[in-house]
Amino acid sequence: MSISQLLSEFGSQYAEALFTTWKLTALSFSLAFVIGVAVTVMRVSPVRPLRIAGEIYVQIFRNIPGAALLILLVYAFPYLNIVWSYFTCVLIAASLIPAAFCSEYLMAGINTIPVGQIEAARSIGMTFVQTISKVVIPQSLRSSVLPLTNLLVATMLTTALASQVPLKPRDLTGLVAHINTHAVGGVTAFFISAMLYCGTAVVIGQVGNLIDKRVRILR
Amino acid sequence: MRNMEPDQNGAEVPVIELRHVEKHYGDLHVLKDINLRVGKGEVVVIIGPSGSGKSTLCRTINRMETIDAGEILIEGVPLPVEGRELAQLRAQVGMVFQSFNLFSHRTILDNVTLGPTDVLHVPKKEAREEAMRLLARVGVESQAHKVPAQLSGGQQQRVAIARSLAMHPKAILFDEPTSALDPEMIGEVLSVMTELAGEGMTMLVVTHEMNFARRVADRVIFMDAGSIVEENTPDAFFSHPKSQRAKDFLDSIQNH
Repeated sequence: MSISQLLSEFGSQYAEALFTTWKLTALSFSLAFVIGVAVTVMRVSPVRPLRIAGEIYVQIFRNIPGAALLILLVYAFPYLNIVWSYFTCVLIAASLIPAAFCSEYLMAGINTIPVGQIEAARSIGMTFVQTISKVVIPQSLRSSVLPLTNLLVATMLTTALASQVPLKPRDLTGLVAHINTHAVGGVTAFFISAMLYCGTAVVIGQVGNLIDKRVRILR
Repeated sequence: MRNMEPDQNGAEVPVIELRHVEKHYGDLHVLKDINLRVGKGEVVVIIGPSGSGKSTLCRTINRMETIDAGEILIEGVPLPVEGRELAQLRAQVGMVFQSFNLFSHRTILDNVTLGPTDVLHVPKKEAREEAMRLLARVGVESQAHKVPAQLSGGQQQRVAIARSLAMHPKAILFDEPTSALDPEMIGEVLSVMTELAGEGMTMLVVTHEMNFARRVADRVIFMDAGSIVEENTPDAFFSHPKSQRAKDFLDSIQNH
Protein backbone atom coordinates (compact mmCIF):
# COMPACT_ATOMS: atom_id res chain seq x y z
CA MET A 1 0.00 0.00 0.00
CA SER A 2 1.16 3.53 -0.69
CA ILE A 3 1.47 6.22 1.94
CA SER A 4 -1.69 7.94 0.76
CA GLN A 5 -3.67 4.69 0.81
CA LEU A 6 -2.41 3.90 4.30
CA LEU A 7 -3.22 7.40 5.50
CA SER A 8 -6.72 7.40 4.03
CA GLU A 9 -7.49 4.04 5.58
CA PHE A 10 -5.60 4.34 8.90
CA GLY A 11 -5.13 8.12 9.20
CA SER A 12 -7.31 8.57 12.25
CA GLN A 13 -5.69 5.54 13.88
CA TYR A 14 -2.25 7.04 13.26
CA ALA A 15 -3.43 10.25 14.89
CA GLU A 16 -4.78 8.30 17.83
CA ALA A 17 -1.56 6.26 18.08
CA LEU A 18 0.57 9.41 17.95
CA PHE A 19 -1.48 10.84 20.76
CA THR A 20 -1.10 7.61 22.78
CA THR A 21 2.68 7.68 22.27
CA TRP A 22 2.78 11.33 23.35
CA LYS A 23 0.68 10.58 26.40
CA LEU A 24 2.83 7.58 27.39
CA THR A 25 5.99 9.62 26.80
CA ALA A 26 4.80 12.58 28.85
CA LEU A 27 3.62 10.42 31.74
CA SER A 28 6.68 8.14 31.70
CA PHE A 29 9.12 11.01 31.52
CA SER A 30 7.38 12.91 34.31
CA LEU A 31 7.49 9.83 36.52
CA ALA A 32 11.08 9.08 35.51
CA PHE A 33 12.03 12.66 36.35
CA VAL A 34 10.41 12.59 39.79
CA ILE A 35 11.92 9.18 40.60
CA GLY A 36 15.28 10.26 39.14
CA VAL A 37 15.43 13.37 41.36
CA ALA A 38 14.40 11.34 44.42
CA VAL A 39 17.00 8.64 43.74
CA THR A 40 19.65 11.34 43.21
CA VAL A 41 18.82 13.00 46.52
CA MET A 42 19.15 9.56 48.16
CA ARG A 43 22.52 9.04 46.50
CA VAL A 44 23.96 12.29 47.88
CA SER A 45 22.30 12.10 51.28
CA PRO A 46 24.34 11.78 54.47
CA VAL A 47 22.39 8.61 55.36
CA ARG A 48 24.36 5.57 54.22
CA PRO A 49 21.45 3.11 53.77
CA LEU A 50 19.72 5.67 51.53
CA ARG A 51 22.87 6.12 49.46
CA ILE A 52 23.19 2.37 49.05
CA ALA A 53 19.51 2.01 48.12
CA GLY A 54 19.90 4.75 45.52
CA GLU A 55 22.97 3.08 44.00
CA ILE A 56 21.20 -0.28 43.89
CA TYR A 57 18.22 1.27 42.14
CA VAL A 58 20.43 2.73 39.44
CA GLN A 59 22.46 -0.45 38.98
CA ILE A 60 19.32 -2.56 38.59
CA PHE A 61 17.25 -0.36 36.31
CA ARG A 62 20.09 0.89 34.18
CA ASN A 63 21.00 -2.69 33.35
CA ILE A 64 17.64 -4.35 32.74
CA PRO A 65 16.16 -4.53 29.22
CA GLY A 66 12.79 -2.77 28.96
CA ALA A 67 11.17 -5.76 27.32
CA ALA A 68 12.31 -8.04 30.16
CA LEU A 69 10.89 -5.66 32.74
CA LEU A 70 7.60 -5.44 30.85
CA ILE A 71 7.31 -9.23 30.58
CA LEU A 72 7.97 -9.47 34.30
CA LEU A 73 5.25 -6.95 35.08
CA VAL A 74 2.68 -8.43 32.67
CA TYR A 75 3.29 -12.15 33.06
CA ALA A 76 5.08 -12.74 36.38
CA PHE A 77 3.48 -10.22 38.71
CA PRO A 78 -0.01 -11.76 38.32
CA TYR A 79 1.41 -14.85 40.10
CA LEU A 80 2.00 -12.55 43.07
CA ASN A 81 -1.62 -11.43 42.72
CA ILE A 82 -0.42 -8.11 41.39
CA VAL A 83 -2.37 -7.39 38.24
CA TRP A 84 -2.01 -4.04 36.58
CA SER A 85 -3.55 -2.79 33.36
CA TYR A 86 -1.38 -3.01 30.24
CA PHE A 87 -1.17 0.76 30.19
CA THR A 88 0.13 0.82 33.77
CA CYS A 89 2.66 -1.93 33.05
CA VAL A 90 4.04 -0.06 30.02
CA LEU A 91 4.11 3.17 32.01
CA ILE A 92 6.06 1.56 34.85
CA ALA A 93 8.59 -0.12 32.55
CA ALA A 94 9.05 3.06 30.54
CA SER A 95 9.64 5.20 33.63
CA LEU A 96 11.69 3.04 36.01
CA ILE A 97 14.46 2.54 33.46
CA PRO A 98 14.75 6.18 32.28
CA ALA A 99 14.65 7.20 35.98
CA ALA A 100 17.98 5.40 36.49
CA PHE A 101 19.50 7.31 33.56
CA CYS A 102 17.92 10.55 34.79
CA SER A 103 19.70 10.07 38.12
CA GLU A 104 23.00 9.42 36.35
CA TYR A 105 22.66 12.67 34.38
CA LEU A 106 21.77 14.60 37.52
CA MET A 107 24.78 13.12 39.33
CA ALA A 108 26.98 14.28 36.47
CA GLY A 109 25.38 17.72 36.86
CA ILE A 110 26.08 17.69 40.60
CA ASN A 111 29.73 16.93 39.90
CA THR A 112 30.00 20.24 38.05
CA ILE A 113 29.08 22.20 41.22
CA PRO A 114 32.20 23.43 43.03
CA VAL A 115 32.24 21.91 46.52
CA GLY A 116 32.85 25.38 47.92
CA GLN A 117 29.32 26.42 46.99
CA ILE A 118 27.94 23.59 49.08
CA GLU A 119 30.20 24.66 51.94
CA ALA A 120 28.96 28.22 51.48
CA ALA A 121 25.36 27.02 51.73
CA ARG A 122 26.17 25.12 54.90
CA SER A 123 28.09 28.08 56.30
CA ILE A 124 25.01 30.32 56.16
CA GLY A 125 23.10 27.71 58.14
CA MET A 126 21.24 25.84 55.41
CA THR A 127 20.17 22.34 56.36
CA PHE A 128 20.88 19.37 54.10
CA VAL A 129 17.40 19.62 52.58
CA GLN A 130 17.78 23.36 51.93
CA THR A 131 21.23 22.92 50.42
CA ILE A 132 19.92 20.20 48.13
CA SER A 133 16.76 22.01 47.10
CA LYS A 134 18.20 25.53 46.75
CA VAL A 135 21.73 24.96 45.50
CA VAL A 136 22.47 21.40 44.40
CA ILE A 137 19.42 20.22 42.46
CA PRO A 138 18.71 23.58 40.72
CA GLN A 139 22.28 23.77 39.44
CA SER A 140 22.34 20.11 38.52
CA LEU A 141 19.08 20.46 36.56
CA ARG A 142 20.25 23.55 34.76
CA SER A 143 23.42 21.87 33.61
CA SER A 144 21.62 18.66 32.61
CA VAL A 145 19.06 20.10 30.17
CA LEU A 146 20.65 18.60 27.06
CA PRO A 147 21.15 15.07 28.45
CA LEU A 148 17.60 15.19 29.84
CA THR A 149 16.35 16.25 26.40
CA ASN A 150 18.01 13.16 24.97
CA LEU A 151 16.45 11.12 27.74
CA LEU A 152 13.01 12.41 26.81
CA VAL A 153 13.54 11.21 23.24
CA ALA A 154 14.86 7.88 24.51
CA THR A 155 11.85 7.56 26.79
CA MET A 156 9.54 8.13 23.80
CA LEU A 157 11.30 5.34 21.92
CA THR A 158 11.06 3.13 25.02
CA THR A 159 7.27 3.50 25.03
CA ALA A 160 7.31 1.40 21.84
CA LEU A 161 7.33 -1.43 24.36
CA ALA A 162 3.58 -0.92 24.31
CA SER A 163 3.52 -2.78 20.99
CA GLN A 164 4.37 -5.98 22.89
CA VAL A 165 1.09 -5.99 24.81
CA PRO A 166 -2.48 -5.65 23.54
CA LEU A 167 -2.79 -2.01 24.55
CA LYS A 168 -5.85 -0.08 23.42
CA PRO A 169 -5.66 2.53 21.99
CA ARG A 170 -2.44 1.42 20.31
CA ASP A 171 0.81 3.37 20.30
CA LEU A 172 2.69 4.18 17.07
CA THR A 173 4.67 0.93 16.99
CA GLY A 174 1.70 -1.18 18.08
CA LEU A 175 -0.36 0.30 15.25
CA VAL A 176 2.25 -0.74 12.68
CA ALA A 177 2.13 -4.30 14.01
CA HIS A 178 -1.65 -4.16 13.81
CA ILE A 179 -1.71 -2.82 10.25
CA ASN A 180 0.75 -5.45 9.08
CA THR A 181 -1.32 -8.29 10.49
CA HIS A 182 -4.59 -6.98 9.02
CA ALA A 183 -3.45 -5.40 5.77
CA VAL A 184 -0.29 -5.27 3.71
CA GLY A 185 1.30 -2.09 5.05
CA GLY A 186 4.85 -3.35 4.80
CA VAL A 187 7.75 -1.00 5.35
CA THR A 188 5.59 1.99 4.42
CA ALA A 189 3.48 1.53 7.54
CA PHE A 190 6.69 1.60 9.57
CA PHE A 191 7.87 4.63 7.65
CA ILE A 192 4.83 6.71 8.66
CA SER A 193 5.32 5.85 12.34
CA ALA A 194 9.04 6.54 12.06
CA MET A 195 8.33 9.98 10.60
CA LEU A 196 5.96 10.75 13.46
CA TYR A 197 8.59 9.66 16.03
CA CYS A 198 11.21 11.72 14.20
CA GLY A 199 9.03 14.81 13.98
CA THR A 200 8.33 14.63 17.69
CA ALA A 201 12.03 14.13 18.48
CA VAL A 202 13.00 17.15 16.37
CA VAL A 203 10.53 19.34 18.25
CA ILE A 204 11.77 17.99 21.60
CA GLY A 205 15.36 18.67 20.56
CA GLN A 206 14.60 22.25 19.53
CA VAL A 207 12.72 23.00 22.73
CA GLY A 208 15.53 21.41 24.75
CA ASN A 209 18.10 23.65 23.05
CA LEU A 210 16.01 26.73 23.76
CA ILE A 211 15.61 25.83 27.42
CA ASP A 212 19.33 25.07 27.72
CA LYS A 213 20.23 28.48 26.32
CA ARG A 214 17.93 30.19 28.78
CA VAL A 215 18.96 28.40 31.95
CA ARG A 216 22.61 27.53 31.36
CA ILE A 217 24.76 28.69 34.27
CA LEU A 218 27.58 31.11 33.57
CA ARG A 219 30.73 29.88 35.29
CA MET B 1 42.71 44.60 72.69
CA ARG B 2 39.05 45.48 73.10
CA ASN B 3 37.21 44.34 76.18
CA MET B 4 35.39 41.06 76.24
CA GLU B 5 31.81 41.04 77.44
CA PRO B 6 31.45 39.91 81.02
CA ASP B 7 28.92 37.13 81.76
CA GLN B 8 26.67 37.02 84.85
CA ASN B 9 29.60 36.05 87.05
CA GLY B 10 31.66 38.91 85.79
CA ALA B 11 33.97 36.56 83.84
CA GLU B 12 34.66 37.18 80.19
CA VAL B 13 32.91 34.92 77.67
CA PRO B 14 34.82 34.86 74.41
CA VAL B 15 32.84 34.75 71.17
CA ILE B 16 35.08 31.95 69.94
CA GLU B 17 37.00 29.62 72.18
CA LEU B 18 39.07 26.56 71.29
CA ARG B 19 40.33 24.28 74.05
CA HIS B 20 42.95 21.61 73.42
CA VAL B 21 41.79 21.02 69.84
CA GLU B 22 43.46 18.15 67.99
CA LYS B 23 43.05 16.99 64.43
CA HIS B 24 44.74 14.37 62.27
CA TYR B 25 44.55 13.65 58.56
CA GLY B 26 45.60 10.02 58.68
CA ASP B 27 49.18 10.10 59.99
CA LEU B 28 49.46 13.85 59.59
CA HIS B 29 48.90 15.73 62.85
CA VAL B 30 47.39 18.97 61.47
CA LEU B 31 46.22 20.64 64.68
CA LYS B 32 48.18 20.15 67.89
CA ASP B 33 46.67 21.23 71.20
CA ILE B 34 45.18 24.45 69.86
CA ASN B 35 43.96 26.90 72.49
CA LEU B 36 42.51 30.16 71.30
CA ARG B 37 40.08 32.80 72.53
CA VAL B 38 38.59 35.56 70.42
CA GLY B 39 36.73 38.20 72.37
CA LYS B 40 33.82 40.32 71.21
CA GLY B 41 34.94 42.93 68.70
CA GLU B 42 38.41 41.47 68.49
CA VAL B 43 40.26 41.03 65.22
CA VAL B 44 42.61 38.06 65.33
CA VAL B 45 44.84 37.38 62.35
CA ILE B 46 46.40 33.96 61.83
CA ILE B 47 49.55 33.78 59.78
CA GLY B 48 52.01 31.05 59.05
CA PRO B 49 53.61 29.07 56.24
CA SER B 50 51.37 27.01 53.96
CA GLY B 51 50.55 23.65 55.45
CA SER B 52 50.79 25.05 58.98
CA GLY B 53 47.14 24.24 59.67
CA LYS B 54 45.82 27.80 59.77
CA SER B 55 43.03 27.24 57.23
CA THR B 56 42.08 23.97 58.88
CA LEU B 57 41.90 25.74 62.22
CA CYS B 58 39.64 28.40 60.73
CA ARG B 59 37.39 25.77 59.17
CA THR B 60 36.95 23.79 62.40
CA ILE B 61 35.26 26.75 64.05
CA ASN B 62 32.00 26.32 62.10
CA ARG B 63 32.67 22.60 61.71
CA MET B 64 33.47 22.62 58.01
CA GLU B 65 36.18 20.33 59.41
CA THR B 66 35.59 17.96 62.30
CA ILE B 67 38.04 17.69 65.18
CA ASP B 68 39.42 14.58 66.89
CA ALA B 69 39.68 15.92 70.41
CA GLY B 70 39.18 19.11 72.39
CA GLU B 71 36.34 21.58 72.52
CA ILE B 72 35.11 24.50 70.47
CA LEU B 73 32.70 26.94 72.05
CA ILE B 74 30.76 29.79 70.51
CA GLU B 75 29.76 32.31 73.19
CA GLY B 76 30.41 29.60 75.73
CA VAL B 77 28.20 27.00 74.03
CA PRO B 78 29.87 23.85 72.65
CA LEU B 79 29.65 23.39 68.89
CA PRO B 80 26.83 20.93 68.06
CA VAL B 81 27.99 17.81 66.24
CA GLU B 82 25.45 17.74 63.44
CA GLY B 83 21.87 18.30 62.35
CA ARG B 84 19.65 21.31 62.81
CA GLU B 85 21.54 22.59 65.86
CA LEU B 86 24.76 22.72 63.88
CA ALA B 87 23.00 24.49 61.00
CA GLN B 88 21.60 27.05 63.43
CA LEU B 89 25.02 27.66 64.87
CA ARG B 90 26.58 28.07 61.44
CA ALA B 91 23.96 30.73 60.71
CA GLN B 92 25.51 32.75 63.56
CA VAL B 93 29.12 32.48 62.39
CA GLY B 94 29.88 33.95 59.00
CA MET B 95 32.48 32.54 56.67
CA VAL B 96 34.27 34.11 53.74
CA PHE B 97 36.18 31.70 51.52
CA GLN B 98 39.27 32.01 49.37
CA SER B 99 37.29 31.15 46.23
CA PHE B 100 34.24 33.37 47.04
CA ASN B 101 31.81 30.46 46.52
CA LEU B 102 28.86 32.56 45.45
CA PHE B 103 25.90 30.50 44.20
CA SER B 104 26.53 30.66 40.48
CA HIS B 105 22.91 30.04 39.42
CA ARG B 106 21.49 32.96 41.41
CA THR B 107 21.78 36.72 41.05
CA ILE B 108 24.00 38.77 43.33
CA LEU B 109 20.92 39.99 45.17
CA ASP B 110 19.62 36.41 45.61
CA ASN B 111 23.00 35.35 46.94
CA VAL B 112 22.64 37.86 49.74
CA THR B 113 18.93 37.27 50.47
CA LEU B 114 18.91 33.45 50.37
CA GLY B 115 20.23 33.01 53.92
CA PRO B 116 17.96 35.59 55.55
CA THR B 117 14.78 34.38 53.78
CA ASP B 118 15.37 30.63 53.97
CA VAL B 119 17.31 30.24 57.20
CA LEU B 120 16.21 33.21 59.31
CA HIS B 121 12.71 33.43 57.74
CA VAL B 122 12.97 37.17 57.19
CA PRO B 123 10.17 38.42 54.87
CA LYS B 124 11.34 38.68 51.22
CA LYS B 125 10.86 42.43 50.90
CA GLU B 126 12.74 43.18 54.09
CA ALA B 127 15.56 40.84 53.09
CA ARG B 128 15.88 42.53 49.69
CA GLU B 129 16.01 45.99 51.23
CA GLU B 130 18.71 44.98 53.66
CA ALA B 131 20.62 43.14 50.93
CA MET B 132 20.63 46.30 48.81
CA ARG B 133 21.92 48.29 51.78
CA LEU B 134 24.69 45.74 52.35
CA LEU B 135 25.59 45.63 48.65
CA ALA B 136 25.81 49.43 48.70
CA ARG B 137 28.01 49.24 51.76
CA VAL B 138 30.50 46.97 49.97
CA GLY B 139 30.15 49.03 46.78
CA VAL B 140 28.50 46.56 44.38
CA GLU B 141 24.85 47.62 44.47
CA SER B 142 24.92 48.39 40.74
CA GLN B 143 25.64 44.69 40.06
CA ALA B 144 22.68 43.37 42.10
CA HIS B 145 20.89 41.79 39.16
CA LYS B 146 23.89 40.18 37.51
CA VAL B 147 25.11 36.64 38.18
CA PRO B 148 28.44 35.97 39.94
CA ALA B 149 30.36 35.04 36.77
CA GLN B 150 29.75 38.56 35.42
CA LEU B 151 31.62 40.17 38.33
CA SER B 152 35.33 40.55 38.97
CA GLY B 153 36.93 38.49 41.74
CA GLY B 154 37.15 41.48 44.04
CA GLN B 155 33.48 42.28 43.49
CA GLN B 156 32.51 38.66 44.08
CA GLN B 157 34.42 38.56 47.35
CA ARG B 158 32.75 41.76 48.51
CA VAL B 159 29.37 40.16 47.72
CA ALA B 160 30.45 37.13 49.74
CA ILE B 161 31.16 39.45 52.67
CA ALA B 162 27.72 41.04 52.23
CA ARG B 163 26.19 37.54 52.17
CA SER B 164 27.84 36.83 55.54
CA LEU B 165 26.79 40.18 57.00
CA ALA B 166 23.16 39.60 56.00
CA MET B 167 23.03 36.84 58.61
CA HIS B 168 24.02 39.28 61.40
CA PRO B 169 26.77 36.93 62.55
CA LYS B 170 28.42 37.02 65.96
CA ALA B 171 31.76 36.62 64.23
CA ILE B 172 33.08 36.20 60.70
CA LEU B 173 35.77 33.73 59.71
CA PHE B 174 37.92 34.80 56.76
CA ASP B 175 39.78 31.89 55.17
CA GLU B 176 42.46 33.52 52.99
CA PRO B 177 39.94 35.97 51.52
CA THR B 178 42.40 37.67 49.15
CA SER B 179 44.57 34.74 48.07
CA ALA B 180 42.61 34.07 44.87
CA LEU B 181 42.49 37.72 43.82
CA ASP B 182 44.50 39.63 41.27
CA PRO B 183 46.76 42.12 43.06
CA GLU B 184 44.74 45.18 42.00
CA MET B 185 41.62 43.74 43.63
CA ILE B 186 43.11 42.85 46.99
CA GLY B 187 42.88 46.41 48.28
CA GLU B 188 39.13 46.76 47.72
CA VAL B 189 38.43 43.61 49.74
CA LEU B 190 40.84 44.53 52.53
CA SER B 191 39.32 47.99 52.84
CA VAL B 192 35.86 46.47 53.34
CA MET B 193 37.36 44.20 55.99
CA THR B 194 39.11 47.15 57.65
CA GLU B 195 35.80 49.01 57.83
CA LEU B 196 34.13 45.99 59.40
CA ALA B 197 36.87 45.74 61.99
CA GLY B 198 36.42 49.42 62.75
CA GLU B 199 32.71 48.87 63.31
CA GLY B 200 33.47 46.29 65.98
CA MET B 201 32.88 43.05 64.08
CA THR B 202 34.52 40.03 65.69
CA MET B 203 36.84 38.60 63.07
CA LEU B 204 39.22 35.69 62.69
CA VAL B 205 41.31 36.19 59.57
CA VAL B 206 43.67 33.72 57.95
CA THR B 207 45.78 35.73 55.54
CA HIS B 208 49.14 36.38 53.95
CA GLU B 209 48.53 40.15 53.94
CA MET B 210 51.05 41.25 56.54
CA ASN B 211 50.24 44.94 56.19
CA PHE B 212 46.60 44.20 56.92
CA ALA B 213 47.65 42.21 59.99
CA ARG B 214 49.87 45.06 61.14
CA ARG B 215 47.21 47.75 60.67
CA VAL B 216 43.99 46.01 61.66
CA ALA B 217 44.70 43.06 63.94
CA ASP B 218 44.33 43.30 67.69
CA ARG B 219 46.33 40.12 67.98
CA VAL B 220 48.48 38.09 65.59
CA ILE B 221 48.75 34.33 65.89
CA PHE B 222 51.65 32.58 64.24
CA MET B 223 51.15 28.92 63.40
CA ASP B 224 53.66 26.38 62.21
CA ALA B 225 53.35 22.61 61.76
CA GLY B 226 49.93 22.45 63.41
CA SER B 227 50.77 24.42 66.55
CA ILE B 228 50.29 27.98 67.69
CA VAL B 229 53.91 29.07 68.05
CA GLU B 230 53.42 32.70 68.97
CA GLU B 231 50.60 35.00 69.94
CA ASN B 232 51.16 38.72 70.32
CA THR B 233 50.11 42.23 69.37
CA PRO B 234 51.00 43.03 65.76
CA ASP B 235 53.61 45.59 66.76
CA ALA B 236 55.38 43.23 69.12
CA PHE B 237 55.12 40.27 66.77
CA PHE B 238 56.39 42.00 63.64
CA SER B 239 59.17 43.98 65.31
CA HIS B 240 60.31 41.39 67.87
CA PRO B 241 59.24 37.87 66.97
CA LYS B 242 60.22 35.60 69.83
CA SER B 243 60.60 32.24 68.13
CA GLN B 244 63.16 31.30 65.52
CA ARG B 245 60.38 29.86 63.31
CA ALA B 246 58.52 33.18 63.31
CA LYS B 247 61.76 35.02 62.50
CA ASP B 248 62.46 32.65 59.62
CA PHE B 249 58.93 33.04 58.32
CA LEU B 250 59.01 36.82 58.45
CA ASP B 251 62.41 36.82 56.75
CA SER B 252 61.20 34.51 54.01
CA ILE B 253 58.25 36.73 53.13
CA GLN B 254 60.25 39.94 53.26
CA ASN B 255 63.22 38.76 51.24
CA HIS B 256 61.69 38.75 47.78
